Amino acid sequence: MPIKLSKIIPKALFTTPKIPSVAVVGLMVVEYVILSNVIAPEPKCTLNVERPHYSTYLKETRNIDAIKLNITSECNVPQDYTEVESSIRKLENGQQVVVYAPGLERRESSKSDPKKAEFRDLFALCRLGKSMSYVGSARGLVYLKGGGTIPVKDDSGIFRAANCGIGAQ
Amino acid sequence: MILEYSEQQIVGLVHNRSVSYFEQCLTFGDRLLQEERRALYKYLLESNKDFYKVQAKTLLAEGKVSRTIANGQAIYSVKNSQVTYSAYGLQSEIFSIDVRQIRLSKFRLLNEIRLRKFFAQGDIDIIRNFPLPSRYLREENGFGISVYPFYTLAYYANGKNYLKGIIKKLKTNDKEILTKLRTL
Repeated sequence: MPIKLSKIIPKALFTTPKIPSVAVVGLMVVEYVILSNVIAPEPKCTLNVERPHYSTYLKETRNIDAIKLNITSECNVPQDYTEVESSIRKLENGQQVVVYAPGLERRESSKSDPKKAEFRDLFALCRLGKSMSYVGSARGLVYLKGGGTIPVKDDSGIFRAANCGIGAQ
Repeated sequence: MILEYSEQQIVGLVHNRSVSYFEQCLTFGDRLLQEERRALYKYLLESNKDFYKVQAKTLLAEGKVSRTIANGQAIYSVKNSQVTYSAYGLQSEIFSIDVRQIRLSKFRLLNEIRLRKFFAQGDIDIIRNFPLPSRYLREENGFGISVYPFYTLAYYANGKNYLKGIIKKLKTNDKEILTKLRTL
């Protein structure tokens, strides 16, 4: 024979809350805040400036000699786009000279990887056979999806030689 | 003199003629030099003057106009005295909403002049991101633009010292590429 639940547990327990509803809602809010901070990571972005290099791709496809600068911004959260000001500097008589500065460029994140924006069209014509040492640098802002910006900057490290001179006669 | 060609002859003519430098530029996309993009902007502004004028009038009258160039399409629209454009690839999933904006003034003639420049800049953005197919495979990245359009002094000043921008603009010489675009 089935036993009724109300016979085992006193009826008052169902009707009278032991914890006030305001406190329950408060606890839920606290739980949400804690969980959302744990689950949603703090947005972080990095910029990677590769060393300026002679582009075989441009030689093969356009028959031009050019030094190319590849830049990638990557975040741990989706981004809308990245804006960077980049430059290529060369070493001349021990002094650094800017030989390429394309101005402020914007690149939206790729549809396949919304956390990444890749700049692959930054290049300057050069004269093959004139060896020069270059360094690339960039700084800018990453605009995150849903708002907020993160400043980023990077350079390609030490000056490295390429067998093609930008601005060489 | 009226020349008459059969359909077969026309096909032959089309295939035999050499591709112009401008037509090549339509296939270069992200392989266009910044100097080429700037010269192309100037070239389109002068060669499409009448077309842009008609486009501007249509946009101001109807509030919307679209334009297809290379392998992409730009859709221009007016909202709250502001013109924006969105870009779409014809054979691509890449698109960008509200790429650039300009504010309209109360003067119709001024608006038409500014819109012509805006259209030329839009064309350059489309050509850069959605080139005509060529035999070289192209990696698809996100939509990219130079933030400062060619028609502003900010482009030459990179958004900073406008006096230096004026000097740089005066020093900028695109004659060589422009000549190639006009003649080859």
